[in-house]
Amino acid sequence: MLEFWLFVLATAGIYTIFSLGLLVQFGIAGLPNFGNGAFMAISAYAMAISVVNGLPMWAAAPVGIGAAVLFGLLLAIPTVRLRSDYLAVATIAAGEIVRYLALNLQELTGGAAGTVNLLGPGIAADYNSSWLRFQSGVRGLISNLVGQRVPSDVAFIAILWPVALLLLAAVWYMVRSPWGRTLRAIREDETAVAALGKDVFAYKLQAFSVGAALAGVAGLFFAWQVSSFSPDDFRPTLTFYAFVIVILGGKTNVWAVPVGAVLFAGIFAGTRFLDFWPLSVFASGDRAYLRLVLVGLGLIVLVIWRPQGIFGNRREDALET
Amino acid sequence: MKPKDAILSASHVGMRFKGLVAVDDVSLAVARGSITALIGPNGAGKTTLFNCLSGFLPGAAGSVVFDGRRIDGLPPHRRSRAGLVRTFQIPRIFHRLTLIENMLVADRAQPGDALFGCFMRRGATLARTRAATEQARDLLALLSIERLADDYAGTLSGGQRKLLELGRVLMTDPKMILLDEPMAGVNPALGGKLLERVEHLRQERGITFLFVEHDMEMVMRVSDRVVVLDQGRVIADGPPDTIRADLRVIDAYLGRADLGASA
Amino acid sequence: MLDQLLQLVFNGLVTGSIFAIGAIGASLVWGVLRIGNFAHGDYMALGAFTTFTANVLLGLPLVVSALLGVAATSLFAVLAHQLVLKPMRGRGLTSVFIVTVGLAFVIRNTLFLVFGSGARRFDIDQAEVYVVGPIRMSPGQAITIVCALIAIGLVGWLLSSTNIGRSMRAVAENSDLAAVTGVDTDGLATITWLITGALAGLAGICLGLVQGTFDASFGAYTLFLIFTAVVLGGIGSAYGALGGGLALGLVMEVSTWDGFAGGLDPRYKLILAFIALILMLLVRPEGLFGKARIV
Repeated sequence: MLEFWLFVLATAGIYTIFSLGLLVQFGIAGLPNFGNGAFMAISAYAMAISVVNGLPMWAAAPVGIGAAVLFGLLLAIPTVRLRSDYLAVATIAAGEIVRYLALNLQELTGGAAGTVNLLGPGIAADYNSSWLRFQSGVRGLISNLVGQRVPSDVAFIAILWPVALLLLAAVWYMVRSPWGRTLRAIREDETAVAALGKDVFAYKLQAFSVGAALAGVAGLFFAWQVSSFSPDDFRPTLTFYAFVIVILGGKTNVWAVPVGAVLFAGIFAGTRFLDFWPLSVFASGDRAYLRLVLVGLGLIVLVIWRPQGIFGNRREDALET
Repeated sequence: MKPKDAILSASHVGMRFKGLVAVDDVSLAVARGSITALIGPNGAGKTTLFNCLSGFLPGAAGSVVFDGRRIDGLPPHRRSRAGLVRTFQIPRIFHRLTLIENMLVADRAQPGDALFGCFMRRGATLARTRAATEQARDLLALLSIERLADDYAGTLSGGQRKLLELGRVLMTDPKMILLDEPMAGVNPALGGKLLERVEHLRQERGITFLFVEHDMEMVMRVSDRVVVLDQGRVIADGPPDTIRADLRVIDAYLGRADLGASA
Repeated sequence: MLDQLLQLVFNGLVTGSIFAIGAIGASLVWGVLRIGNFAHGDYMALGAFTTFTANVLLGLPLVVSALLGVAATSLFAVLAHQLVLKPMRGRGLTSVFIVTVGLAFVIRNTLFLVFGSGARRFDIDQAEVYVVGPIRMSPGQAITIVCALIAIGLVGWLLSSTNIGRSMRAVAENSDLAAVTGVDTDGLATITWLITGALAGLAGICLGLVQGTFDASFGAYTLFLIFTAVVLGGIGSAYGALGGGLALGLVMEVSTWDGFAGGLDPRYKLILAFIALILMLLVRPEGLFGKARIV
């Protein structure tokens, strides 16, 4: 059971950071970016490739985030002016381009086999050892503090969650700052914002980049948590999950993101680890499908009948145009 | 009019959509501190001309000089920054922002409006928010909608939306305002107050107004000058009394009896 | 080498026909009802799996099974419209899109739960080959060509010669105008889904036949190619979707021709299609053949 909750917390922490980015882009600025998972992938790959090529981990991490932001700008500059349904389709397509490139550029990424092949097949590439050293240092510290040996996942969570909460507080402050207000105004009517003298395009790029940077941070933690990852870890479903979390919280509610993330990760892990009726009816291999059916139903039900999310107020959303 | 007296002068402005000429070689100078009305039958090109002046129709022909600067070719937000701010025929308000928030979006002196500005210039941001909120409340009071200040703008009636939009424009501290049918949907009592307000703003702050309006009574009462547009061309231009007497205008506009018939 | 080219052109026309059949429906829904339907690929899979059930599990003849599959998908599309999409009327484009994402998840993974993750195939002799001149043709390809001709003929007749078809085109071109002139938008939506579902089901069956084997996600993999065809032809234009689908199928196959600078590595075919999709959305959302509209 402890293993279950540690898994839930680790997953939820990563999802919290990732979904915060989507909240800024989609909930606040009204830009439905369905390719946000690609930014996570780019950051993870850029970091891993940098480390394998000799960069220290703490220098490689900003490289990863920088790469995600750069790609974010590259995608945003042509697309943020698009109508929202076109933007949705264009961003999924862009995310898929990234994934297919990662699959096919084997010399760079290790291809379908994953980052273990970063240095070519036959050599086990390792980008993770300095992180693991750092993590075991933290683990030792915590173990001393509580007086017993804790699992290494505890150390991971103890590093991840303070970062997640710090970013959460920062995003919360930014969203209710004048900058966030202008983004919300753009979401409502960008023509009017331009008429008032604000550079709508620049604001959209900023929102997109902030989202990409947060996805980049999430990508780093994801890469550190696993020791090898592959392009298939960044399927479009990853971004859809974040949409579920953001919508669960009512699209603009920053503090609802970690709650949604824990809830989501609980359902996610529950269908994997737990084994009681009615779950026991399904073979363990089928539970992944069951989970996705539930995610789909959840999305439909939420968007149709509770667009304000589980905490939101109905009144505001009735004014959606 | 000598160029130095004109805050806005447009020369040979033209716009066509797929062969259809919407604005045809319009030249127009607006004196600083004046109130000018733009009238004409539906489809005469009034709103299109507004769009050309405010930059919402890129690709318009001709040149526009505002406050001594060429502004044609500038994107809408840059023209607005220059002090030429417009409203819309159908008010464009931010539905899921409160009235106060709607007003604050228009504040241009807010350092927290920049990315990370709320962190880097925290004190200045908070101070400016306080000052701007006060200013916004005063303006809302002036427009008689201050009791709705904390409601979502999406709950306002059509006339109230017009007022909010005007308030928002005033928050930008403009030099010249383009008003697209300011009186449509506003109740007459409030309309009267609005007129007083426009005259007051002109006198007090020297704001120049150019407005499109169907309400002839309002046009004749407040404007110093009336420009008549028909089929994309200026067909008459002069003081209200002269225009009233102008037969061409009667033919083009009053004679068709669609005066104020629709938006 | 020329024989290879002819064969590729033929293959391209076959896959292109499938894209076209899928794209016509997706385009109508997007243009007429303003729904970018993310579940469209899964409607195709639904068509293939209902046909599979009738054909393989119940042992019915393929033609009968296919008709059942088309009917079932069509009905499902109408049902989904009534239950899930109609309540979304008046909501933002993004909200509607997200609901279709949810729908896609439900359909795809329910199919996985019911039919498992293994590859399925119709009861048809895959090894058989018809040789027509220089071209070798599988039974699946032959059936696809016949189906495409029938389906496209029917849709063409429907859109050009019936009131409902003319209304659809009117709405696709200008929904405000159509509302003013009194088009029954509710009835129109139902019929649009009826047609779209049937076409998607048919496209799924044909794709299953041509590929030989399929699993529950094979429709979803095709979705972006369908979207590319839709956007190439101009969103809302049925004839455009037809042209866009055929063009996409041809380009994707012929680009691998040896005579074409050694041929494009097939791995990059999908990436190219995605880039084409994004570029089209950016530059000409009205499609290759469409005329620009004032927005």
